[in-house]
Amino acid sequence: MAQLNRYFPKLCHPTCGLEINFQRIRRNPKVKVFTLASVAAVTGERGDYTVTVRQAPRYVKANCTACGDCARATEMKVQNQFDYNLGKVSAAYLPHEMAFPMRYVIAPQVLGTPEAERIKAACKYDAVDLDEKESTFDLHVGAIVWATGWQPYDAARISPYRYAYLKDVITNVEMERLAAPNGPTQGKIVRPSDGVAPKKVALIQCAGSRDYNHLEYCSRICCLASMKHAAYMREQSAEATVDIYYIDIRAHDKLEAFYRKVVNDPHVRLIKSKPAEIKIGPDGGPVVCGENTITREIYAEPYDLVVLATGMQPAGVEGVSGAPVDAYGFIVPEDETQGIFSAGVASGPLDVSMSVQSATAAALKAIQAIR
Amino acid sequence: MTTMSPTPTRPYDLGFTRWVYQNIDGGDRMALCMQCGVCSGSCPLSTTMDNGPRKTFMMIRAGMKDAVLKSDTLWNCVSCYNCVVRCPRHVPVAYILHELATLAVREGYAPARTSETNKFVKGFTWSFETFGRTDERIISLFYYFQDGFVAGIKKLLAFKSIAFAFVKVGRLPLGLPHRIKNRGELKKMLAAAAAIEARHTAGRK
Amino acid sequence: MSPKNTGVYLCSGCGIGDAVSMGSLEKIATKEFKKSCKTNACLCGEEGLETIRADLAGGVNQVVIAACSPRAMTDRFRFNGTQVIRTNLREQVVWSHPANDEDTQMMAEDNIRIAITEAAKSTPPEPKVEGEYSQVVLVVGGGHSGLTAAREASKAGYEVLLVERASQLGGMAAKWSKRMPVRPPYQDPQPNTVATLVKAVEADSRITVKTGCTVAKTSGMPGRFTVEFSDGSSQTVGAFVVATGWRPYDARKLGHLGYGVSPDVVTNVEMEEMLAKGPVVRRSDGKAPGVVVFVQCAGSRDPNHLPYCSSVCCGVSIKQALQLREADPQVMVYIVYEELRTPGVAEEFYRTAQRSGVIFIKGTVKTVDAALTVTVDDAMLQQEIPLSGVDMVVLATGMVPNSTNVEAEAPEVEEEKLRPLKSDINPYAPFAVAGTGAPPLTPPEEKLPEGAPLLNLQYRQGPHLPMLAHGFPDSHYICFPYETRRSGIYVAGPVRRPMDMGEAAEDATGATMKAIQAIHNAAYGLALHPRAGDLSLPIIGLNQCTKCRRCTVECPFGAIDETDQGFPQVNSTRCRRCGTCMGACPVRTISFTNYTVDMLGSMIKAVNIPDETEEKPRILVLACENDAYPALDMMGIARHQFSAHIRIIPVRCLGSVSMLLISDALSVGYDGVMLMGCKPGDDYQCHFIKGSGIAKERMSKVGDTLKSMALEAERVTVAEVSIADSGRLPKVIQDFVEMLDTFGPNPFKGF
Repeated sequence: MAQLNRYFPKLCHPTCGLEINFQRIRRNPKVKVFTLASVAAVTGERGDYTVTVRQAPRYVKANCTACGDCARATEMKVQNQFDYNLGKVSAAYLPHEMAFPMRYVIAPQVLGTPEAERIKAACKYDAVDLDEKESTFDLHVGAIVWATGWQPYDAARISPYRYAYLKDVITNVEMERLAAPNGPTQGKIVRPSDGVAPKKVALIQCAGSRDYNHLEYCSRICCLASMKHAAYMREQSAEATVDIYYIDIRAHDKLEAFYRKVVNDPHVRLIKSKPAEIKIGPDGGPVVCGENTITREIYAEPYDLVVLATGMQPAGVEGVSGAPVDAYGFIVPEDETQGIFSAGVASGPLDVSMSVQSATAAALKAIQAIR
Repeated sequence: MTTMSPTPTRPYDLGFTRWVYQNIDGGDRMALCMQCGVCSGSCPLSTTMDNGPRKTFMMIRAGMKDAVLKSDTLWNCVSCYNCVVRCPRHVPVAYILHELATLAVREGYAPARTSETNKFVKGFTWSFETFGRTDERIISLFYYFQDGFVAGIKKLLAFKSIAFAFVKVGRLPLGLPHRIKNRGELKKMLAAAAAIEARHTAGRK
Repeated sequence: MSPKNTGVYLCSGCGIGDAVSMGSLEKIATKEFKKSCKTNACLCGEEGLETIRADLAGGVNQVVIAACSPRAMTDRFRFNGTQVIRTNLREQVVWSHPANDEDTQMMAEDNIRIAITEAAKSTPPEPKVEGEYSQVVLVVGGGHSGLTAAREASKAGYEVLLVERASQLGGMAAKWSKRMPVRPPYQDPQPNTVATLVKAVEADSRITVKTGCTVAKTSGMPGRFTVEFSDGSSQTVGAFVVATGWRPYDARKLGHLGYGVSPDVVTNVEMEEMLAKGPVVRRSDGKAPGVVVFVQCAGSRDPNHLPYCSSVCCGVSIKQALQLREADPQVMVYIVYEELRTPGVAEEFYRTAQRSGVIFIKGTVKTVDAALTVTVDDAMLQQEIPLSGVDMVVLATGMVPNSTNVEAEAPEVEEEKLRPLKSDINPYAPFAVAGTGAPPLTPPEEKLPEGAPLLNLQYRQGPHLPMLAHGFPDSHYICFPYETRRSGIYVAGPVRRPMDMGEAAEDATGATMKAIQAIHNAAYGLALHPRAGDLSLPIIGLNQCTKCRRCTVECPFGAIDETDQGFPQVNSTRCRRCGTCMGACPVRTISFTNYTVDMLGSMIKAVNIPDETEEKPRILVLACENDAYPALDMMGIARHQFSAHIRIIPVRCLGSVSMLLISDALSVGYDGVMLMGCKPGDDYQCHFIKGSGIAKERMSKVGDTLKSMALEAERVTVAEVSIADSGRLPKVIQDFVEMLDTFGPNPFKGF
């Protein structure tokens, strides 16, 4: 959620709530946090589980002060994963300005190069440990809540949309980074091909979702996320037009109001159509092709920028979760005889508010399991 | 043909729809169509079709049997299968169109009899039944001269330059058409296929 | 308590020592304030921490740390209950200002002065815990959500009192024949388990059930609510889960869809009852229907009826259609929809209906006549189609929240006390569009919910739960959906927003977790969200109180009532410690032990104000600690530079800023004051709901004060700052500095 620029429908910044939660965790000695960690195995039963945790090396020790001298000591850059590789970051980096814990990370690629030694030498606090190895340790717990979230569906797999070939075809999560003030463009939405602000933008819904070829379920959030992206575009440009290609607009409950107010803008157009493909135009730009199902018109519409509303795929924990997983990969604990629960998108495609709801419920279930 | 498909009397009478769902190969999957438009959008011939596959499926649900079976959509499909591979609900769109075309022929719909595709198919069939091969020259000539001699000559002249171009690159052989060996075996195979189809059709409600 | 023995610790690490003179900083502590002071090259390192621990063992009982932002190293600079005051030399001073510069040095020195002054004026709060606290969770509503809440609370070991208005448990859900699937393979309607749930609740020794009963009156606060019931009984409870559910939209208002015109036009609720009873037959002739049409959005998503989407109706119609198809494979079922909404894994439920032969028609139903001809504007076929030969029409009517008790008369209350009933926000407010702005959208007319208040809160701000929009008493926060303006009272299930049974069960469980937290925190004197765990409380000096009532009116949480004599009275566990009351009080008589008007005033005055000949303006920034302050930190992390004439003091909320602080600041010679707080209004981001809005309102009147001081009104400004504004802030600050330059120095300097 730190990677998201804003939330619908308020268009407020996720880091605002994150700050409250981080502060709370920082102040609470009862909460232990392990980062760069993944679960290798779960054994035991309700009230008595052993969780084997594998922790990848950070190459930076706990006494890091986040002064940033290491980052300034090296010229080497690596792909910025926080920005979905849209930009580069120093090989010794702070994942983002609100990173928790507030400590640097050293990219493994730098190990064994003279740059690594330079990074190590720059640290006044001797916090760099280039020899750190992956470690494995066991935790003994009474209950487990899986809140492993999601990853965006790989847009390159939707071959007719030519995501891998067309620079100006991006995904919705990339749009979030482009629009974010702490993103690769400082919040200015530009075409990746030439850095120019787009004037004509297409948002394509169900890019992967509701599709037997990709994700069979509806990802729930993408319609409203695209409404939000239309709002981003309109906030940045008085001339910009936004076309939203959709099958069904799923603006559930009171979020209907957000959808209504976005499409009330005459620069935002809804086209009921799942585009068939994105062709490469004579100028190398994307051309969205398909059938407008209301008018039956066959269109081939060139755009400056196309945003694929890719869906949410659960982070794969099959095999280690200790709980049943459905055909899509969501964790669906059988009943309360287990002390294993799932929350948020690990449990199904949910929006932020529903995820918090689900997490609060899971917390109570876990408390019940250990009392 | 033992039975005809039912003809609806009012909009969205499901008699025909259900018949199609049950009797057309892939018809059961057609039920899953959510009208997204990927098929029609993917179709290279979509602009030449009156309805396109997506609308055709909705028309079937609406009980518009006549309009569906008279539609040129059924005849203009070139089997590129873009629609089939892209359909998010795995509806075998192209196959269904072919089945519907067959149905239209069986039930005697005029466009089926007069469509260019059908005329071409006749030439195609005659060629392989007669020679055991699909010889482009025979198919073309059969197709051109179906509507009479004058019309045939006209068509022939219209395609003159293309024909010469083909000859030039060696894609149109100039020798005599030749038959395959063992045409009797082929005839047996064709007869078996016809028997299967007849059985298949009779099995339908 | 032993007298304060304050130790001051400076950190020269992370570039601080390279950019400012530590010796001069030490002198501020030792010479100006006569405090012991030590500098360490890495205070957060083991050696640095050991220095502090040794001093604590030697008698130091209050620690001032001048190092990184208080947001960093929180866990390390924590010393078992010792009060720690932090000031920021790293992010907001040396990382965002030139090194070895006179102005940077002055900024660092002033931050030391501010922190030591704060330490002198601040006393760590003691928990206010007195008397007994109830551990009972009161669940209002015995439907699916309420039953779930009761069971979940009991399973966590809490006593529950469950009250239900009807004579039996089960609520709306008891009428359902089947429910939508929530488990894989997400395909078939599932048995309704409400009866099992009812049995489990009835058999649960920790749960007491009162049926045929409503709440008549509620007073008190979390941990100690006194609740009177309609049956004359009363009980003390710790917290509430309000799960009063919903009622179907009145179909009689949908005459154009044939309701009331033909007996064979029924609502989805009526269809559910028919399915539960047995074979579905027509009301008109008792015959089984051969053709059934479902009309989606019957009233929902319609500005003339319910402007919102009722979320569940698509799934419900699919379920009913599947049941009809299963009962009679020959029946023809149509679902006419505008947007088919089966979010998440429910997409498979939609496909199941299609597979079973249910026909989905995208379009709008124009009319349904007495002969049951359904006229559909068919979007896919682009023509108006009359569906004839229809035997039954099912209207998928929407959900109306039971945010009031509609079965009871609304009592007479003053207009002012009805305010919580009115929508707080306009969800249709235009979003920002470059240049022209977004075209306005007329919001649908809001009608006040009818009926009696659910809990009849004996609060100064009125008896109702505050409504967000469309009559839903929901949270406005995406990230904190259980946030409530009535502490200890959590709304769950479809009364909060339209939701299905699966989601409602989860929601009820979540709300129960929050109720348990409220009960726990009340007993220990700990604040609830967002200052979770805070022990401080507002203390009101009644001797000076003028009974102006500003504090009782402005409290965003309705925590302050008025006594019979008209004095304010804080209900401690309702209080969220934002300090809005403190900011409201015109006679400065409301304060917290560790946060007072005097303390803030002294911190403001602790800054060394150079005289006008030095051309070093001083500008005060009062920054919301949750959003603006982190944004200022992140400016430093990104090494954005900003004016060194700024002095930053974090505040709990702009709502806690008194006008008097502003005039104090100007009278000691600050050239300008900038308040940085969250966005107020329709998309408010203030975690104390109204704090920043109230501050804006207050400051709109500051002009008069400034005028009386012969100062330009623009010297005081409120800047909307979000936590993500670190890139924008340097310019915001620079523009303000430049504007102040044009006014020249504040003439009060040196007075």
